[in-house]
Amino acid sequence: MASRTSKTFLSLGRINIPLLGLNKSSGKATYATALSINFSSGNKGLPDRGGRGPFVRRPRREAGEPRTGKMPVDQDWTAVYPSAAPFRPGSVPLPVRMGYPVKGGIPPEKKGNLELIKIPNFLHLTPAAIKKHCEALKPFCTEWPSALETDTKCDEHFPIKLESKEYVSAGPSLRNPSVRIVHLRVKLSSLNLDDHARKKMIKLLGERYCKNTDVLTIKTDSCPLRQQNYDYAMYLLTVLYHESWKTEAWEAQKTVADMEDYSWEDSPSQKNILDVLLRMKVAGEGDGEEVRQQLLGRKDVQDYKDSVTRLKNEGESESSMLQYKEAVKKVFNM
Amino acid sequence: MAASLSSIGNVRVLSALAWSSSLCSFSGSRGLHVTVSCCKNRAARIRVGKGDKPVTYEQAHHPHHIGHRKGWLSQHTSNLKGEDGAAERTVEDVFIRRFMFGTFHGCLANEIVIKRRGNLLNVCAVMLQKLPPQKFYFLIGYTESLLSHFYKCPVKLEIQTLQDKIVYKYL
Repeated sequence: MASRTSKTFLSLGRINIPLLGLNKSSGKATYATALSINFSSGNKGLPDRGGRGPFVRRPRREAGEPRTGKMPVDQDWTAVYPSAAPFRPGSVPLPVRMGYPVKGGIPPEKKGNLELIKIPNFLHLTPAAIKKHCEALKPFCTEWPSALETDTKCDEHFPIKLESKEYVSAGPSLRNPSVRIVHLRVKLSSLNLDDHARKKMIKLLGERYCKNTDVLTIKTDSCPLRQQNYDYAMYLLTVLYHESWKTEAWEAQKTVADMEDYSWEDSPSQKNILDVLLRMKVAGEGDGEEVRQQLLGRKDVQDYKDSVTRLKNEGESESSMLQYKEAVKKVFNM
Repeated sequence: MAASLSSIGNVRVLSALAWSSSLCSFSGSRGLHVTVSCCKNRAARIRVGKGDKPVTYEQAHHPHHIGHRKGWLSQHTSNLKGEDGAAERTVEDVFIRRFMFGTFHGCLANEIVIKRRGNLLNVCAVMLQKLPPQKFYFLIGYTESLLSHFYKCPVKLEIQTLQDKIVYKYL
């Protein structure tokens, strides 16, 4: 049984060595020398009692001074902590204390302190280490192109902006299903659209269009791969653009309720104001088309038209209500 | 051991109740919900005694001090919002703790801290100097290679050794 297990251990060692890069000879030697040292004093027949009892094998070697005692002040700290590692009290020459103190006591010292091991430390990221990282990365960096100095220039040359996320997590698997989501953002002003095409595009987009920033956002996540979602988003953009330029036959049935902006011509407000002015007999004559045209041409009627259009399009605010009030007062000579 | 037995008993009780409640649903009886007793006020606590029991920092502070006076023994991203894999990481942690307890029997001075950095599994342990160093080296190599084969990811063991356990106070 013992021989079988020892063979499996040795075979384990042999299999794993090329994978983990262990030194083959040292692996075998460690196992062999452990046996030879333990039985060097000639007690080959007796079981290992761990140094107790009348047969002490060899004196227990005392632990030496920790490395902190031998560190010069101007040492290279990046050699002590070259990469992320847990806190080692024998390697960090600082008198750190951590923990809740006992009543009337002080926080426990760093030797054997599990709290210091639990927390993530950044001893491997001192400014000197970061400088070394930057120096090592510099040969792989290229200059930012000079034609793209400002944001507006970037927008001008690259109007379509694509966004996708990468995820890093702790675990054996790299895959994250949220990686496939792609956001495509374009400003409508950078697309070549005339008035009808722009209005049709905005109607087609619905809630994907933000009026304040004039940005269209297409989010695709229906395909399993990011490349497929990107292709689908570009296809959607192309189709939207071409469809908005086409005029279908049924678009002629667009009613006033479908209009995006309020227009004052032929609106109830225009009819009302003209009727009121005619009844007030401002023009002096009877009802007629030329009288109406003449009234429309007057400045205060134009001001009234501007204020009503502004109120309807932009909504109510202090300044727009004031403007409406002034226009009404002017029209009625108050 | 006790928890697993009682959970099996719990399942049996619940299934029996479900069966009985479905049978007598016409008679209008109310269902009874039972759970195994959680003993939340006795978990992971060493009770105050005569004053001769040495206790480490980890044992002296009760579970409600986690986050206030104690840190977390195991860290990974799966417990963050929107991340998955928490159950798998927890099961891995439980296995690793039992494995280390058994492999380094009698040598552990304190709990084991498990850190995950991407793919790498970093197991930090504080040990007593009960075994000669060569045996330690062998057990470390054995643990690393066995665990990396189990979990298909690189496993690194960071061991610190002490002469004796660090006593925080006596209870």
